[in-house]
Amino acid sequence: MPVWQRVYEEINDPNFVIICAAEDTGGEAAAGPIFDAANPTYIQVVDVDHIISSAFNFVNVPSAAWVDEEGRIVRIDEGTYSKVHEISNGDQSIEFGNDVYSPALKDWVAKGADSEHVQSAKTVTANIRKHSDDQLRADAAFRLGNLYRQHGHTEKAEHYWEMARALNPDSVNFIRQDLTLSEEGSAGPTFIKMRDEYINGGKDYYRPLDINAQLN
Amino acid sequence: MAAMMANPEHRHPFAKTPIHPDGSATVLYQGNTITLGQTGEGNNLLIQPEDLKRVNGFELKPQGACFEDMCIPLTPELTVEQNGKQWFDLCAFADLLGQTYVADTDTQVWSFAEIPAKRESMMVDAMAPDFEVTDRQGNVIRMADFKGKKALIVTWSSW
Repeated sequence: MPVWQRVYEEINDPNFVIICAAEDTGGEAAAGPIFDAANPTYIQVVDVDHIISSAFNFVNVPSAAWVDEEGRIVRIDEGTYSKVHEISNGDQSIEFGNDVYSPALKDWVAKGADSEHVQSAKTVTANIRKHSDDQLRADAAFRLGNLYRQHGHTEKAEHYWEMARALNPDSVNFIRQDLTLSEEGSAGPTFIKMRDEYINGGKDYYRPLDINAQLN
Repeated sequence: MAAMMANPEHRHPFAKTPIHPDGSATVLYQGNTITLGQTGEGNNLLIQPEDLKRVNGFELKPQGACFEDMCIPLTPELTVEQNGKQWFDLCAFADLLGQTYVADTDTQVWSFAEIPAKRESMMVDAMAPDFEVTDRQGNVIRMADFKGKKALIVTWSSW
């Protein structure tokens, strides 16, 4: 979050907005402190029902869309990291993310349609994930589970979240959000196994970033 | 790095409460939770015709059920008469629109996915969907409000 704030300040264009959404059934208690630590001035949303992911057919976080002045999507659905992040796990250090997305974003805000990073409607529509009826039903099941969760009906919540996972097994969001209710949490062995199966099964955990690395 | 950690303290923060103490059914659609005071009997969700607009934005007009420039002609199966009262069958309407849903009839909650026709402009012409959410300051945020500006829509999570 702090890096998006820095990017937002560097761009400093009144005709550019960031709508930053936490896909978080834990609500303000889970996402609020992380937002606050970044002192953000962009638009912050705690999206407990994953409405934005659902609207754009996103299946993982972070994901993003660029929307131009006419409301047209000109890039969509990539592993949207604002920089390379590094975390420590015992003696090991793990790196993830990239340094090319933010410069590409700045280029687009400055040049608009002339930016080399703007994609055609044809490319964008090809990049939007196509959701089957079952995958759309998964969104409905997830929200139903979330309603029960918010009302303390844990068994029903779990039932409908599992239904959502079964109807849309491509949704990393649903799997990891569901795992937040488990003892092991969202980054434990079940998640690692799922991620490995996902990648070994030939699915894009994130769509490969199609941005010229020389920008770095 | 909070994004890589579970939040065990957030696992079960909610006390058990009734789903709709002041109504007979609940509809979930586009992030909204709509409590219905009266519904008909049966497996399908039968609503009062006047509730249709607040459920999904459609209005009943002589030419059909209409939302913006889309009008769906009314077919006989959409209207159900019970005990001398007319009801609008929301499940039959969803079927007509190809809209999927999940129902928990035990507790009378219906959760509807987006109507495919409303997503066509995104899937065909790459036009951004007009979602509606509320920001942390309580402002309603709609995609359509940002016409004339460039927008980065970006998701993340704490989990």
